[in-house]
This record gives sequence, C-alpha cells and structure tokens, in this order.
Amino acid sequence: MKINDYSKSREALRRACNVIPSGIYGHQGPAEGCYTPIEAWPMFSSRAQGSYFWDLDGNRMIDYMCGYGPNILGYHDPDVDEAARRQREIADCVTVPTTKMIDFAELLVDTVACADWAFFAKNGNDVTTLAIMTARAHTHRKKIVFFKGYYHGVSPWTQKIDYSGVIEEDVMHNLYVDWNDFDALAELFDRYKGQIAAVIGQPYMHGNFADNVLPAEGFWQKVRKLCTDNETILIVDDVRAGWRIDLKGSDHYFGFEADLICFCKALANGYNVSALCGKDFLKNTVSGMSYTGSYWMSAVPFAAGIACIEKMKKLDLPRILNEKGKKLGDGMIAAGRKYGFDLHVTGMPSLFYLRLADDPSLMLHQEWIAECVKRGVFFTTHHNHFINYALSDEDIAETIAVAEEAFSIVRQRHPKED
Amino acid sequence: MNDARTLAYINLFAILGAIPYLCELDPEAAKLIEGQQVSIGFSVKGGPEATLFIGGGKARMVPGTDRCQVKLPFASCEKFNGLIDGTVTPIPTKGFSKISFLLKRFTKLTDRLSAYLRPEPADLQDPEFFRISTTIMFHVIAEAIAQIANEDKVGQFSASNIVDGAAKLAIIDGPAATLLCRNHRLTAIHHAPEKYMAYMEFQGMHLARDLFDGNVNAIAAVGQGQVRIGGMISMIDNINRILDRVALYLA
Repeated sequence: MKINDYSKSREALRRACNVIPSGIYGHQGPAEGCYTPIEAWPMFSSRAQGSYFWDLDGNRMIDYMCGYGPNILGYHDPDVDEAARRQREIADCVTVPTTKMIDFAELLVDTVACADWAFFAKNGNDVTTLAIMTARAHTHRKKIVFFKGYYHGVSPWTQKIDYSGVIEEDVMHNLYVDWNDFDALAELFDRYKGQIAAVIGQPYMHGNFADNVLPAEGFWQKVRKLCTDNETILIVDDVRAGWRIDLKGSDHYFGFEADLICFCKALANGYNVSALCGKDFLKNTVSGMSYTGSYWMSAVPFAAGIACIEKMKKLDLPRILNEKGKKLGDGMIAAGRKYGFDLHVTGMPSLFYLRLADDPSLMLHQEWIAECVKRGVFFTTHHNHFINYALSDEDIAETIAVAEEAFSIVRQRHPKED
Repeated sequence: MNDARTLAYINLFAILGAIPYLCELDPEAAKLIEGQQVSIGFSVKGGPEATLFIGGGKARMVPGTDRCQVKLPFASCEKFNGLIDGTVTPIPTKGFSKISFLLKRFTKLTDRLSAYLRPEPADLQDPEFFRISTTIMFHVIAEAIAQIANEDKVGQFSASNIVDGAAKLAIIDGPAATLLCRNHRLTAIHHAPEKYMAYMEFQGMHLARDLFDGNVNAIAAVGQGQVRIGGMISMIDNINRILDRVALYLA
C-alpha cells in the first residue's frame, strides 16, 4: 500500500507557527490531537467530499473524525448545500433575523423529545455555558456536578483548577463523581443539600485513554429521579453524540428526559450553529438572560440545519450509522485477531472508540493507529471516531484492509512471545 | 498562588538536592568536597527534613535528619526559604566542629549552584557551562515536579489524575529522569527507567533550555516534533500541568 508523504503539510505548519500560536491550536492540532508520532498525520486539508478529505500533498484520507463530528451526512451533502445556497441568495446575517430561525426552532421542538423551545448560538461551548447559567438562574444555586472524564467545552467553568489561565474561583463550585457511580452522586446530593444547581453529563462516558462506557442499567433513570426530587436541573450535553444515537435526543435513547439538552456538531452537517433545547418550565428563565452573539441568528446555518434534520429523519440515520460502525468495528477486530491483537471497539458504533488492549501504555495502539493514518485512514489515537452517511461499503472494506496491513507491520516489529 | 511549605520542599529536595549533580558535573564543586566527610541535616518545622551527606568525593541527599553531624533547625518553612534566598543565616544546634565546612565550603557550593541555576547570559556562551547548567536545571525541574505534585494543592489535583507507573523525561544526548507515580504521589528518580508507561523527550539541550527559560512553548514544540510524547499521554499531560507550576515557584 502507498505510504503518505506530508512534505507540504509540514511546510505549511512551519509557516503557521510563525503567525499562529502553536501553528494549529486545540484539538485539531498535533499536540492536543495526540498525533503520535506527528510524522504520520497530515496537518492541513485542501478539499473534502463525502467521506474523504484530501490533504495539501494530495493524499486522500478516509475520514473517521468527520471534522470531530459535524460531518454526519458526508462533506458537501447536496441537499444540505443546496438549502444553504438558496438561503444565502436571500439573506444570512441581517439586522433582524429571518423566520428561518422560527422554522428551525419548530423543527427541533417537533423532533427532540424533551424540547419545548430552542435557543441558537454557534459552538457547543456557547450552549453548554447557557445551560449552566440557566440552571443557576433558575435554582439560585451555585454547585454543578460533573462526571469525571467529561468534556463540556473550553470556558473556564468547564476546565479544571490546574489548566492554564483558570483560577480557583472559576471552578470552586464544580463537584466531580465517577461515571455510573450513583451512590457517590447521591452522597454528593446529601453533602450539598439544596446547593446543587445542575448535573451535567454526556449521554455516556466518551473520555479519552480508556474504553468508552455506556450507562449502567437504570443509571440515568436514578439520576433523573434524584435531580427531580432535589429540584436540580439535569443537563445532557449531546454536542458530541447528538444525532448519531437517536434523532429525538440521546436521553430519549437511554430512556429518560433531560431538562436541558445541548446540540452542535452534526446539527447542520458542518454549517455553524448550535442549539440549547429545554423544558417549558425553564423558558422564562432563559428569556430573562443576557446572552447573545453577532452571528447567532444567521439564516444560512438554520436552512442547512433544517435540511440536515429532515434528511436524517427520512433516512432513519442513526440506525444506518450504527450499522456501518458495527460492520467496520467487527472487521477491524477480526483483522486484529489474525495477528494476535485484542482490539477493543467501545461506545456506540456510530461514534466508536478504539483501543488496542495488548499494552497498558498504549504505545502499541499508537503505533497501529499511526500505520493506518500513513496508509490513508484518518484515525486519532485517543478520541472517539465518527461515522458519516457517505461512508460506503468499499470505504469500510478499504479501511479494514489498511487496518490489517497496519496490524501486520506492528506484529513484525513486536513478535508475539509464546 | 504558591505556598511556603511547597516552596520549602522544592528548596530542600530540588535546589539543595541538586548539589550531588553539581558535584558530579562541576570540577570546582568536586574540589570543594574532596576529602570531606560531613552530613548536614535540614530540619524545617512543619515542613521537610533531609540530610546532605558528603563523603568519598560524592554528595547525596537523603530524607530525614537522624544521622546528621550538623543540624540546622528552622522554625518555619518561611525561615528555611529565607536560607535559600539569602535572607536568613542558620544557627546549628549540633556539630559545631563541622561549622567551618558550613561557613566556607558549603557556602561556596551553594554559590556555585546559584551560578548554574541563575546563570549570567555571557556564561551560557561557554558550551561546557551551558551543558552543566542545563543538566542541573533538568534535575531540579524533575525533582520540583514531584514535590509540587505531592505538596501543592493544584499540583495534587493534577497528580490525582495520573495513573500508576513510570514516566520518562529525557533530553536526547543529555540527562534523563523517571517520575514514578504510586497512588497519585510522585517520586523523582534521576535516571531513565527501563520500562515506562509514557515518555516526553526533548530533542536536544538547546531546546530543553529554551523550554526551561520559557522561550519555547511545549505544545508548539510537540507540534513541530521537537518534543516527543507517547504512551499514556494523560500522564504527560498532567505532568505538564505540574511543570507549568514549577516556574511559579522557581521564578
């Protein structure tokens, strides 16, 4: 198989480093992205289509990160792009909003099980922050409970005391419990009786460096009751998993109802919009809050979001994505077994997490992932992956073949000890 | 933002704890301890205790003061920190026969250490001085990471997220150290581990120096391949967060 060359990407990164802090900052950069070794990954893309992007050096990558989630139907989905194009010809960022905003809110209220209203912004962090502010405004309480291993954005309240630029006061009301540990959560509620404004959680634990963990039987139902009994707001951060598990919301899939649910990423197939949806009893609270942004009512992303949701509904998309993810996961597990590797594929198949369990240091895993990337399959080492609708059976077969060759290379380097 | 107790641990185990490396690397320092046989105990009320043993042309720092010949008691962490920044003169409670070593050779040793840890820019132009200074600084930083992880409130939070195992810190063609984590407490071992869960390697002494001096950012250096990380990267991530706090104490 062809091994990618990334000379132009490397050169572009050098250029970027002159004028941009760390060249590419954040999760899409080589450091936070855990590109290990960095030579295996392309740094910049030149174009994208369907389930692929092409890097600066012309390498075609089968993309299992999907822009870290937004690409759910395939890059340049014709229906979504056409809706966006038509709206762009009419109006986008205007002094007063267009009624596309109402259309989009109505569609979300009709689609999402727990939604009685929708509030729009741009990034996931915008709406997780609004959710926390709403909970505090409604309850007049300060404490927020997080499940360890969480990610809810980058505002200071979402970070930890040891993060650069975060001060103790930013996180002094944050409380932490282990995922699926209901007893510990109940104990926190006892200890901080009447002080907990909200519990915020992703629908299941997709933390890094460890297998993803689905909710234990009855866990969410017990959390729901505990919150209701204590008049604490239950927030589901569905920014990452939303639309890949259940179009009615991931809370619906796991059999409970959130008070507030946060969406972004796949909401409009890459067009820039996020949404906070919630129960009726919180609508007045949000109405009274000062929270806005220059581009938050732009019409093009609303039109894209409407087209995206309608298409996802028509396709029954989560079912299809989970089928594709299952096929891929099973194929890679079998490929690994041929060479004596124990590949774990965890989480929902539509946003699967990979870990080679043969080595607790994860160095073998990093080697295997790097060999896949060098052969044109864009995986990351320690983040969950994403399936999109454009991913074909041929792409899946090619990925499994690449995975198998990568396993063979790693096995050659590390012969099995009998 | 920093606390006197953590600083006392750093001053004792990382700063004075670097005297053994100073004596290995610097001929002048080696000469100062040549033929000497002395042990100096530092006993800090409400803080750390350790003894610097000198003998056989070598020095080593060991926790505790049970076997010291000269004992320097300090009424508080602040008083001990004053010794390091030169504002407090200690009075020994035992070992008066060894007091001349304390007044003459030990003072010269610490002066020599200061010269390498707070070097004049001109001195760094000398490649050998640069190598020694950067090597000593590496060991000071590795030890300070462990002390901050164990004593500093924010450092303890970072350490609470570090899994058990060894992390390797190394400068290519330079010194190496192991940060061993057990139950979220860190121990610095000043040589490379045989097996490790995670690693962070600096591509050379000059890059390491730039990172130590704050002229280069570690995240940017990772992106450019100047710093290599791998294995259980969450260990390195949290060690880096502690590393950020080293500057707070050693600035």
